[in-house]
Amino acid sequence: MAPNAPGIIIRTPLEGKMFLLYLELRGTMVEMTSRETNPNFMNGVPELLVLRLLEDAEMYGYEIVQAIRDRTDAVIVVGEGVVYPALHSLERAGALKSRRKTVAGRSRIYYSMKPAGSRRLADLAAQWTSLAGAIQKTLAGGQHGNVVA
Amino acid sequence: MATWLRELRERLLRAGVAPRHVRRYLTELREHWSDLTAEEERAGRNRAEAETLALARLGRLDDLARIMIERPELRSWTARAPWVVLGTGPVLGLAAGWGMALLILWSGWTWFLGGSQTPFVPVHGFAIAYFGVGRMLYYTAPLLTGWGMILLAGRQRVRAVWPVILGALVVALLGATGAVDVRPPVVPGDTGDVGIRFFPPASQLADAAGHALLLFVLVTLPYLVWRWRSSRSDFEPQ
Repeated sequence: MAPNAPGIIIRTPLEGKMFLLYLELRGTMVEMTSRETNPNFMNGVPELLVLRLLEDAEMYGYEIVQAIRDRTDAVIVVGEGVVYPALHSLERAGALKSRRKTVAGRSRIYYSMKPAGSRRLADLAAQWTSLAGAIQKTLAGGQHGNVVA
Repeated sequence: MATWLRELRERLLRAGVAPRHVRRYLTELREHWSDLTAEEERAGRNRAEAETLALARLGRLDDLARIMIERPELRSWTARAPWVVLGTGPVLGLAAGWGMALLILWSGWTWFLGGSQTPFVPVHGFAIAYFGVGRMLYYTAPLLTGWGMILLAGRQRVRAVWPVILGALVVALLGATGAVDVRPPVVPGDTGDVGIRFFPPASQLADAAGHALLLFVLVTLPYLVWRWRSSRSDFEPQ
């Protein structure tokens, strides 16, 4: 594993492989690598995590990354720079709003949730809950068909 | 600005990411880097080590550039459609500038010269300044519009020459052939109409051509200087 590569690093090997398998089967992932990081995979996960965190409080990038690490007990480590493109895209899509604030001489750009962001979070959360359920079912020896449907 | 941030900025702009997103991204990364450096220093590392580790945690330059470039929604219109933006932008800019100049001319005619057959008569007092603003706007609009277009192309690091040439030509031709057209009032005491006409009489074609050439050179000069400087620059993306 490349510890400093940006992107999502899933520290539980089996779960990581299952997610990568899912993405490959869905055609989301273009190429399979031996690393447990995947740029395409990042596209959805940082958005989900960011929206969930911003639902509670206004935050800036560094805080968001620390919060993801803390709340997932470092199981999911987001490449520190990757949250920003996600934040910009979410703001452009109307899900977030931003404001610049100078705190102790530092220029901080704080992001907060808009109503469209809440709707998007609900959609993404439902999607990932369904996925997690399907993977759990697969791990427990259930049906495989639901995973790639 | 740190070298890696400068390099990242050039890569993103050349790839078409909108300058406002690039500017904000760099600010956020710079601040994040400072936070990470402080965190590493608190963990007992010296400044140099802390900065290196912080940079590694932030991500590789290639990845920081790629994840931004891969999002088409963050691209600017200048990068998406340079022909449209640089071709029609000057027309809109010139229309706005000249529209404002004509409004000043017409309103000044109404307020200061009621009943006059033309606004081009000697004026006094505040009217001199009022008409002066309109006149300055009228004469500088082509140049300001052209330079605005060059600034737009330069900010986005547009490498394609032809859209810029097209925009400069549009500015030069419109700017050189356009002239204020004044029609006296039909009813005595009213104000007449003002407008712009684009077809100079044959006797003035040589003057118009010279004016167009001058405008074209003045508009493209900053662009040529920028291209020359960037081609001489030692900066090479890694």
